[in-house]
Amino acid sequence: MVQIKKKKERDVKIPDAGMSDIVFLLLLFFLVSTTIDVDTGIGLTLPEYIPPEEQEFVPLSKDRLAALNINENGDVLLDGEIIAIPQVKETLIPRIESKIDLPKKKKLVVSIKTARKTNYNLYIQALDQIKGAYATVRKAYAQTHFGKKLYELNKDENKELREKVPIIISIAEPERVK
Amino acid sequence: MKFEKKRSQTKQEIPTSSMPDIIFMLLLFFMVATTLKEVEVYVQYKLPEAEAIEKIENKRLVSYIWVGKNGRIQLNDAIVQVEDIQDIMYKKRVELPNVIVSLRIDKGSDMGIVNDIQQALRKADARRINYSAMLKQ
Repeated sequence: MVQIKKKKERDVKIPDAGMSDIVFLLLLFFLVSTTIDVDTGIGLTLPEYIPPEEQEFVPLSKDRLAALNINENGDVLLDGEIIAIPQVKETLIPRIESKIDLPKKKKLVVSIKTARKTNYNLYIQALDQIKGAYATVRKAYAQTHFGKKLYELNKDENKELREKVPIIISIAEPERVK
Repeated sequence: MKFEKKRSQTKQEIPTSSMPDIIFMLLLFFMVATTLKEVEVYVQYKLPEAEAIEKIENKRLVSYIWVGKNGRIQLNDAIVQVEDIQDIMYKKRVELPNVIVSLRIDKGSDMGIVNDIQQALRKADARRINYSAMLKQ
């Protein structure tokens, strides 16, 4: 008689000790590869809308106003003189600084005017220069008066800074098409 | 006298069998949380680059306007005309008084369309804007 061998029961197991490592790798991959997209950009508050009939003409003295004109060919004029966009920042810094100690009504007003066909990128570059100039002045002010970096300022110091170096950017009223 | 080594009979091991489960949970959390609130963008655009940029702190306040290469305008999730912006934004502003409008405008656009949008926003009294831009490398 043939003896039927009893099958030996073997201990079958999938090794799962490394499982957590694999999953950790997956987790890390997702952590690294997902970029939570942050909105970055140049912030601005538009002026209030006033219907044309109610608009008042407020005269501004020449030395208060920095008028930046950009035409459709990409030429940039600052107060009537041709300037290259990268120079705008350097030109504006001393003008902003000279007005730090003046009262609120005498601070510099930067006005940007564009034509309808002006390239948007140029406008942003110009705005960037202006913002950059203000940021540089604010940084210097915070350093000399408080000895701190901009983000270290407390509420009161921030308020003082905003009063001393306000960012006044005026977007010129677009001209009506005649 | 003979000293006996004291040793507990129980296994000295931290049970790790449920570790992958815990990490899977973490993984799932991140996978779900990072793809929330995706708006489909129907326009093609390339943002300008700038240096003096800031972050928008409060994302819940943001409404988006895209302007594509061909001048198409998308407001939040639909393509709109310039004339519609004022009404839509006005309603939005009533709901959310301090709404920030993030303008994602293609860098090749003309200022004409930008001015039109800005005028519409001013009329709708949604005056906090942000020109979306990438950090210049």
